[in-house]
Amino acid sequence: MTTTTLTPKSSSATTTPKQRARRPGSIRSIGDIGLYTVLVVLALIYILPFLVQIATSFKTEAEAASNAVSLVPQTFTFAAYEMLFAHSDFPVWFANSAFVTVAVTIGRVFFASLAGYALARLRFPGRGLVFGTLVAVMAVPQVVLLIPKFLVLNQLGLYDSYAGMILPLLVDAAGVFIMKNFFESIPRSVEEQARIDGAGAFRIYWSVVLPMARPALITIVILSFQGSWNELSHFIVSAQSPELTTLTKGVAALASGQLSQGTQYPLKLAAAAIMTIPVAVLFFIFQRHITNTTGGAVKG
Amino acid sequence: MGVAARASSRVGSRRTSVARRGEGSAGWLFTLPVIVILGLFLFVPVLMALWVSFSDWTGRGSPFSAGTGFVGFDNYAEITSGGGLPERNFGIALRNNAWYAVLVIPLQTALSLFLALLVNRAALRGRTFFRISFYFPSVTSSVAITVLWLFLFSSTGVVNQVLSWVGMNGPNWFNDPRGIVHVALSAVGVEAGPAVLTDADILGVSWWDWLSGPSIAMAALILMAVFTTSGTFMLLFLAALQSLSPDVDEAGRVDGASTWQRFWRITLPQLRPALFTVLTLGLIGCWQVFDQIYTGTQGGPGKTTLTPAYLSYESAFTDQRWGQGAAISFILFLIIVAFTVVQRWALRERGVAKRRMRQYRMTARENGGAS
Amino acid sequence: MNFRALIAGGTAASTFFALSGCGGSGFDDSAQDSTDDELTSSNSALTVLYGASGDAEKDAVEDAVAAWSKESGIDVTALAATNLTQELSQGFASGSPADLFYLAPEQIAGYADNGSLKPYGDLLSNRDDFYPSLVENFTVDGEFYCAPKDFSTLALVINTDLWDKAGLTDADIPTTWDELDAAANALTTGQRAGLTFSPEYQRVGVFMAQAGGSLVTDDGAQAVAESSENIEGLEFVRSHLKGGTFAYATDLGAGWGGEAFGKGQAAMTIEGNWITGALEADFPDVNYQVVPLPTGPAGQGTLQFTNCWGMAADSPNQEATLELVEFLTSAEQQLEFSAAFGPMPSVESAGDQWRSDNPDLTAFLDGADYATGMPTDVGADEVISDFNAQLESLKSSDPEKMLTTVQNNLEAVVG
Repeated sequence: MTTTTLTPKSSSATTTPKQRARRPGSIRSIGDIGLYTVLVVLALIYILPFLVQIATSFKTEAEAASNAVSLVPQTFTFAAYEMLFAHSDFPVWFANSAFVTVAVTIGRVFFASLAGYALARLRFPGRGLVFGTLVAVMAVPQVVLLIPKFLVLNQLGLYDSYAGMILPLLVDAAGVFIMKNFFESIPRSVEEQARIDGAGAFRIYWSVVLPMARPALITIVILSFQGSWNELSHFIVSAQSPELTTLTKGVAALASGQLSQGTQYPLKLAAAAIMTIPVAVLFFIFQRHITNTTGGAVKG
Repeated sequence: MGVAARASSRVGSRRTSVARRGEGSAGWLFTLPVIVILGLFLFVPVLMALWVSFSDWTGRGSPFSAGTGFVGFDNYAEITSGGGLPERNFGIALRNNAWYAVLVIPLQTALSLFLALLVNRAALRGRTFFRISFYFPSVTSSVAITVLWLFLFSSTGVVNQVLSWVGMNGPNWFNDPRGIVHVALSAVGVEAGPAVLTDADILGVSWWDWLSGPSIAMAALILMAVFTTSGTFMLLFLAALQSLSPDVDEAGRVDGASTWQRFWRITLPQLRPALFTVLTLGLIGCWQVFDQIYTGTQGGPGKTTLTPAYLSYESAFTDQRWGQGAAISFILFLIIVAFTVVQRWALRERGVAKRRMRQYRMTARENGGAS
Repeated sequence: MNFRALIAGGTAASTFFALSGCGGSGFDDSAQDSTDDELTSSNSALTVLYGASGDAEKDAVEDAVAAWSKESGIDVTALAATNLTQELSQGFASGSPADLFYLAPEQIAGYADNGSLKPYGDLLSNRDDFYPSLVENFTVDGEFYCAPKDFSTLALVINTDLWDKAGLTDADIPTTWDELDAAANALTTGQRAGLTFSPEYQRVGVFMAQAGGSLVTDDGAQAVAESSENIEGLEFVRSHLKGGTFAYATDLGAGWGGEAFGKGQAAMTIEGNWITGALEADFPDVNYQVVPLPTGPAGQGTLQFTNCWGMAADSPNQEATLELVEFLTSAEQQLEFSAAFGPMPSVESAGDQWRSDNPDLTAFLDGADYATGMPTDVGADEVISDFNAQLESLKSSDPEKMLTTVQNNLEAVVG
């Protein structure tokens, strides 16, 4: 399984003879200087927008328009944040996003590992059918489900409720695949002993196999946290009450000017910056896990 | 779950064979939540929407109530050959999205592969820093990025200020509906298309307008897509690169192949599975543009950022034409499936490539399951 | 068997799904017809859905609703929509829409068609007090659907400081196209346009009206977009956009005319009553004056905007809702709304009071005499948004071609 084997040790594949001749990590040739220049310029292009965003959120509206580039506000102001937290529904949006995200993440981790284990290990009639259906399901693009999901939630009486916002997100076929692949990589022998001891399937799953699945579970946590925190379209079609508005929906309304007049860039950028913080924190905590394994995870 | 665990331990003394036999029910039970939820929120919705796309439901009460009638393919006909606004809107949306896909897919694939090759070197200082930098935009939400983009590309925004340093007068990005091909043509004096292109049309959009290129506003969104997806795809390529065997590359070098030749002849063919994954994910993602449009442009300026996904939403939720909205989403579904199939066919393993790989004594591993 | 507990759990789970499956309102919606004058009546609390232009409107609506609730003893919740049209649609489809809501004239026909609306206009005790042109705006197939909430017209707003700086006097205030042309010319500088407005029919249309054109005939029965009058109006705008004395607000980097005007990117703008509140809040230092729009080749012309209080056919308590509407549209309450966030009262009995309260803004109310409303046919709003999309590139396109498209699109929806 790729999650554990992709440590960055192995990549001597692209070193050239010249490079091999010297110590790793030293910068000598003109070619190297060129390489680092390219890398630094690219990194700046990728990072600067976010720095500008943070700087602008502390600027006055006039300065945001007149001097967009500067990274240091001339007049440093918390006005945007004050507005967001004291005079808008922003705290409600944040709380909703947090609640839904935590619920979805817990649900996905549990359901995906449960089903993944069954598909990897348990022999039951119809397993092939379930698996095949999951493959087909993965092919359905989420965006074409906008209208359908609204219709069904409405019909079930779940529209405009937390249940309607959370339940449809609880299962994600890709997560089941990741877990299935992982469980298949565990040698069967670990379960044999438990089975001989008379443990049932759920017991084996819960107390033997699941604790070993940490790397894959982290992958699921990351994917579902990020996925549900950043989800927009589903919340548009599943709820409308102001008290059920999530961050994505609220900030989208803010951005498209439905809640205000004028450009209000500091305010919008502050809102966008705050909504980026939780995923950014998650990202930095699991940074090594992500940059080393997401490739494997996405592939399923 | 505590109850279940206790229950299972209570009967723990049963024999293994019994447990084995219990696998049937356990298997179904374990997969039941997934089956129920996917069934209820994916399979049933699709069937319901299919019915709506064949009905005249106008959005009041249940689509299954007595007042709703079956209208056959009317909704589909209206958007593909009706001759009115719905057809034109659909044509415009397809035009916009096609240009978006045509530009985003090659750009994001090339850039992410380039980034992966750069950061794949073992002897790279600050490798982790670079990887984080390139990947970070991928974790942020499309809403947050769109807000940032609206600011960066506003008329007095960062991009235009930077352009002004080098003496360029940047366009008013998100308010500029001119297609970039048309802009380029008008720079060489071509203001209007030849009659042969302007008089004939497909889906209510003239050939000349099909060829307009993405609008300046859409170009900004294209850059955004490349910016946000390149990190994810970089990681995919990186995983594939790291599982390549160095032997083959070594052999190529012994044969006297240059770096460039070895990249094209050796590395790239071995990356084929990863390339297929990236292209497929890119293609699927490119036809699902919705969040950015909902947040940022609502289809404007001049409908040049209208996409089928957004049009489907708008038809149903704001214009009360639920049947047409559902029909658009099914056509979109077919488009995505068709493109994926075509791509799979185009990138299928060809005999020649295989022979060349063998020639370089590729170790049999189909590199780490990159498909 | 060790799975019994789990199976029990699974059964519970499926029961839960089954329950939620039946708990909905969806399956037995009978499309009751609501053409009669019967209003539903019950003890249900009311919900009001509105789209606020800002905090001022939000507070005003909530205060008014709370006041009525206290007076009548009926609970009312006022919900500010983040996306009004979408939330209305979702409400109607779910069978439990808000009882009362903001509704634009161009949406009435669509919702009337599918039976979502309760037509109650003729039941209003203050029915005859509304301006007739507004009543007409909310009448579909001879049925007066809903009470006009308030209204606005467009006028010319002039930055007086920039006006003086350009050496212009009161005598230069434009009353004709030629004078507008001259004033815009005098006010245009390198960084500033003379006149700005949004690239949409809802602004540009005033020039079509002043040239004598319109999109549909007065009775709404025929599309007349492709007329020489309309072409003349658009040509006038187009030539000035090209000349740089007029500029679209979006081209100046602003969200709307008021913003560009407030930031000093343009010296004049064409906007409605709402601009006064916005300028006060965002650009309090800007001095301005509101004058009637200039007369075109065919006389005076402006556009009029209005929303009504729509009532849901599915509302269980229409009697109380009607009382709430009468309260909200009373002269007294509308004057309060007007003071809070700008639009003009929709009842004639409030006119004189409004004039004396707002002596500087009478140009807006005067416009009511010659203003044109938006077409109300089903699908007309999509035609207009398509027209707006084309207007964005007016500078580089052919007005006649543009209007031909509009004409074709309109013919498909009119009559």
